[in-house]
Amino acid sequence: MGITETYTEQELIDALKERDNLAYGYLYDNYSGALYSIILQIVQDSELASDILQEVFINIWRKIETYDPTKGRLFTWMLNIARNASIDTLRSKGYQNSQKNQGLPENVNMTSQVTQTNIDNIGLTKILAKLKPEHRVLIELAYFKGYTHEEIAQIEDIPLGTVKTRIRNALLQLKEYMQ
Amino acid sequence: MNVQEYILSGIVESYVLGLSGTEERAEFERMCAAHAEVRAARDAFERTLEKQLLSNAVAPPSNLKSKIIADIEIENEKRQGKKVVSLKQSPIVQAGWLRYVAAAAVILLVGSTILNFYFFTQYKQYISKYNELLATETQMASANQKLQTKLQEYDAMMSIMKDTAMAIVKMPANPGGPVPGIQTTVYWNTTSKDVYLLVNNLPTPTPGKQYQLWAIVDGKPVDAGIFDMQAGPMKMKNIPSAQAFAITLEPKGGSATPTMPIYVMGKTSS
Repeated sequence: MGITETYTEQELIDALKERDNLAYGYLYDNYSGALYSIILQIVQDSELASDILQEVFINIWRKIETYDPTKGRLFTWMLNIARNASIDTLRSKGYQNSQKNQGLPENVNMTSQVTQTNIDNIGLTKILAKLKPEHRVLIELAYFKGYTHEEIAQIEDIPLGTVKTRIRNALLQLKEYMQ
Repeated sequence: MNVQEYILSGIVESYVLGLSGTEERAEFERMCAAHAEVRAARDAFERTLEKQLLSNAVAPPSNLKSKIIADIEIENEKRQGKKVVSLKQSPIVQAGWLRYVAAAAVILLVGSTILNFYFFTQYKQYISKYNELLATETQMASANQKLQTKLQEYDAMMSIMKDTAMAIVKMPANPGGPVPGIQTTVYWNTTSKDVYLLVNNLPTPTPGKQYQLWAIVDGKPVDAGIFDMQAGPMKMKNIPSAQAFAITLEPKGGSATPTMPIYVMGKTSS
């Protein structure tokens, strides 16, 4: 999906701050797919991802004034809203309960397998697959599950310093694969 | 660690992807503010990430956009509902409204002034006409009053004349008198002894003179009163008895004894 150049980044931001509906339409047309992809990779459920994307766009609309261009690009800001919303959903009590109520283990495996095959082929997951396994698991825990470095150190039973170093190296590696 | 090493440490990616803790974030933002190279590195990675994710986009459900637009429209209404009153629209709306009201007021004022002038002129004309009418009406009322009075006088006189006790004494011109063909009539009530004189035909007296009626009682003239020329009968002095009536021309105010000659004279039937 290419971006039609009808707005510069600054023009788009100004129009969004004016609550211009056309600008929001443009924003949705150009960025919803990338954000949906990330949300989908985190929650691994298209219906849930769709609900989260809706919430994310409403939040972008509500919070556009708090966007600070000196701290990064608009897409980065939106990406972090989408990621945080997805992780919050994963961690919410409602989601945890619904996972528990899913029933038989066979069903869980089946659905997760189906979803997994879809997710594997999209976005960061595809690149992530190229990483060394010890790097990949840390990125998955940190980026897609939202665990802190301390939590990862506990889960993986490795020193905090090692977690930090490996994550930094994994990120640098990831960047290489992106280019 | 110099700036270049800092950039290559993986902090840029960690920060952009939201994996940094509070301290790391604060430090990175300070470095960005201080070093253009850090900002450039951040921007470069952001663009790379953006490009990567955009090229791996997954289309969301097709009906989602309309749901979001509907949500945003509801939010927009709420927002405007909140702000309209206090901030944005109401002053503008009021200003627009006031402009029309002001324009209307000016038009009304000008119109009213013109109408006022027109009505004032009309009013003055009507006042003047009204005053004329009032004067005419007063004149007519006064004339009417005079007529009424006269009519009443005639009425009264008529009832007097109709009295059956009324004796009529015709007084033709004195055969040896100064003016021939003249005549007066005395109406003498035989009961009340009131005397009324009607001038049928007498020449207008010269200035300083007045006619005087005399009753001839046992051959002697008795003053029955002076009179001016009038159309109707005039009430004269009460005369208990007389054999004749005569009129002479006297100096104004009358005389104690008549100055000759006698102008007219008539004998009573008694």
